Amino acid sequence: MIVYVARRMVTAVFMLLSIAFVTICLFFGASKDPARAMCGKPCPPETRAKVSAYMQTDQSAVWQYVEFVKGLFVGRTYGTGAQQVHCPAPCFGYSFPNRSDVTTLIAERLPVTLSLALGAAILCLVVGIGLGALSAIRKGGIVDRFSTGFAMFGLSVPTFLVGLLVLQVFGFMLNALPYSGFVSFSESPADWAWHLIGPWMVLSFILAAGYVRVTRTQLLNELSADHLVAMTARGASNRQVNRHAVRGVMVPVAAMFALDVTALLGGSVIAEKVFSLHGLGDLLLSGVNESDLSIVVGVTLFSAFLIIVGNLVADLLMPLLDPRIRRA
Amino acid sequence: MPDPVLQVEDLCVSFTGGGVTADIVRDLSVTLYGGRTLAVVGESGSGKTITGRAIMRLLPRGASARGRIVVAGREMLSADERELRRARGSDVAMVFQDSMSALSPYLDIGAHIAQAIRLHNPSVTRRAARARAVEMLDRVGIPEPADAVRRFPHEFSGGMRQRAVIAMALVNRPALLIADEPTTALDVTVQAQILALLRELQREYGMAMLLISHDFGVVGSAADEVLVMYAGRQAEYGSLRDIFDQPAHPYTAGLRAATPRLDVRREIGGERTRLRAIPGAPTSLRDAGPGCAFAPRCGLADQVGERCVVEAPLPTVRPTSEVGGLHLAACHLDRLPAPQEVAS
Ligand SMILES: Nc1ncnc2c1ncn2[C@@H]1O[C@H](COP(=O)(O)OP(=O)(O)O)[C@@H](O)[C@H]1O
Ligand code: SF4
Ligand SMILES: [Mg+2]
Repeated sequence: MIVYVARRMVTAVFMLLSIAFVTICLFFGASKDPARAMCGKPCPPETRAKVSAYMQTDQSAVWQYVEFVKGLFVGRTYGTGAQQVHCPAPCFGYSFPNRSDVTTLIAERLPVTLSLALGAAILCLVVGIGLGALSAIRKGGIVDRFSTGFAMFGLSVPTFLVGLLVLQVFGFMLNALPYSGFVSFSESPADWAWHLIGPWMVLSFILAAGYVRVTRTQLLNELSADHLVAMTARGASNRQVNRHAVRGVMVPVAAMFALDVTALLGGSVIAEKVFSLHGLGDLLLSGVNESDLSIVVGVTLFSAFLIIVGNLVADLLMPLLDPRIRRA
Repeated sequence: MPDPVLQVEDLCVSFTGGGVTADIVRDLSVTLYGGRTLAVVGESGSGKTITGRAIMRLLPRGASARGRIVVAGREMLSADERELRRARGSDVAMVFQDSMSALSPYLDIGAHIAQAIRLHNPSVTRRAARARAVEMLDRVGIPEPADAVRRFPHEFSGGMRQRAVIAMALVNRPALLIADEPTTALDVTVQAQILALLRELQREYGMAMLLISHDFGVVGSAADEVLVMYAGRQAEYGSLRDIFDQPAHPYTAGLRAATPRLDVRREIGGERTRLRAIPGAPTSLRDAGPGCAFAPRCGLADQVGERCVVEAPLPTVRPTSEVGGLHLAACHLDRLPAPQEVAS
């Protein structure tokens, strides 16, 4: 078990470092020097060189990588004297156009994305597992037929289309939901949820389809599984048997969810765009539009960090569900 | 004579599905005493598993049983859930055909056996139950039982897994063991070992065993009495000797002709002979008309004539070579002609 945990953690750290390396090489190595945008017009070569040096974009990609990783732990300082800016640890880079360190920008946006992703995850699990379980228990019934159609639709329709549809129907036509904006949870939990229902529906709709299918199939297997009949034959009560059936369903569901962390974040970017929410996805897109390399790299790596941590948590939870892994 | 461990009277099992109810087992009656093995033989689909599961009241959804089943003095068909739970795994235990799918993939072997113990003796600690599991694994011949107890089902070979399943079934010393094709999934040599183990444990515990098999050879090497089933009904019932030496039902005679005993079979190189040797496909009770279900495949039906097609034969008493033995066959023919004629 300890070996398993240690191995997962080491893998996670190693993955983070390699992703950072590839991302930084890709962006800093192959992009236009962002100093050009900051230098203004006209931009004589010596000014540009100064700006480049100040923004530290004149260095090699490998140097950037080392500085970036160092910055995560000890912070980073740009320029000297009066011009000096400090980016405290954990530093995900400094955005000169925004005059702010990327960490602060991320911290501003993170509540939006987390609210979106976590809420959607919960809704998707509740709806997906609930519908899947009901379909299995009443196989061929009305819920089953409805959720099969639902799953087909959910698996085949792109996120943005669902988003626009929800926006159109609930936001504009029915005027039932706010179609943009974000209210922080601490301000008003009710308003927070109210503003997020639309994007939650969109995001979870797409992902829930998979859970409906997995839960249904798995529960059907479990309901007629020999090992549960055998357990009854040993003298177990229905309740004890059902508890085991639930475990048999939860293992593949959890495995699937671990993979969906990525899809959840990816979907958030689209949902943010559709519902005009200012989350991480929106930050990333603005970084791309403004050629703000620090934001692009910082947000990309932070998202990678979220995904890897999400996967790590899922990996560490798996052995609790499936004891076979504990022995690995 | 002591009370029988298992008594089945006029058992009928029917399935309801799509608005139709059909019998799949009809009018089955057996009596089994402690220390004896009754083999239930018949082709796949003849209702052996359903019969075994009916005895434990473990029928699949849609199936219902009528008649009377008494296990160790307990009326199974009228028992409530609590009584059933008490009986299952304690008075009567089952070894399933596929040991892999009969074990939970998420529990190690020790947890399975401990569960079997603690379901019936809640005061036993998990620790004590696992210690008992080690003893039990040792008893069924699993090497390094202290290590094996921590292994998961997929980490065992088929033969070892079947031994573990037997340990699990016997840990509460049931009065009756129902073994549903316990060796079908195994190699011939392992088959013989498992059968020998079952026989040995049966003697040690004095339990009754219902040995279900579609392999007549297995029956020959392990049974005291034999029940031959065809399409959900009993074709023939009798002592092993009567069934092998003087079968009274054409179906039994066909099986007998097609299968040497397991001990003989091993001498001739372990070649597997199956019941398929009888030409034609088995009929299920569902499709059977009013006559004898075996009639479409029976080489003797012509000798009897119409009667085979219009009237289902009832079990009638046949000659037996055992003192006080019972030999029944459900066939309109009073006597079978000589074996060579049957085989044709
Ligand atoms: N779940 C079920 N639903 C409907 N029919 C079934 C079911 N299980 C078994 N049967 C029917 O019951 C008959 C007997 O099956 P079974 O007892 O498994 O046969 P055996 O064990 O002798 O091979 C078969 O003809 C099969 O079609
Ligand atoms: S009753 Fe007729 S058909 Fe049936 S087994 Fe006997 S002879 Fe054959
Ligand atoms: Mg069977």
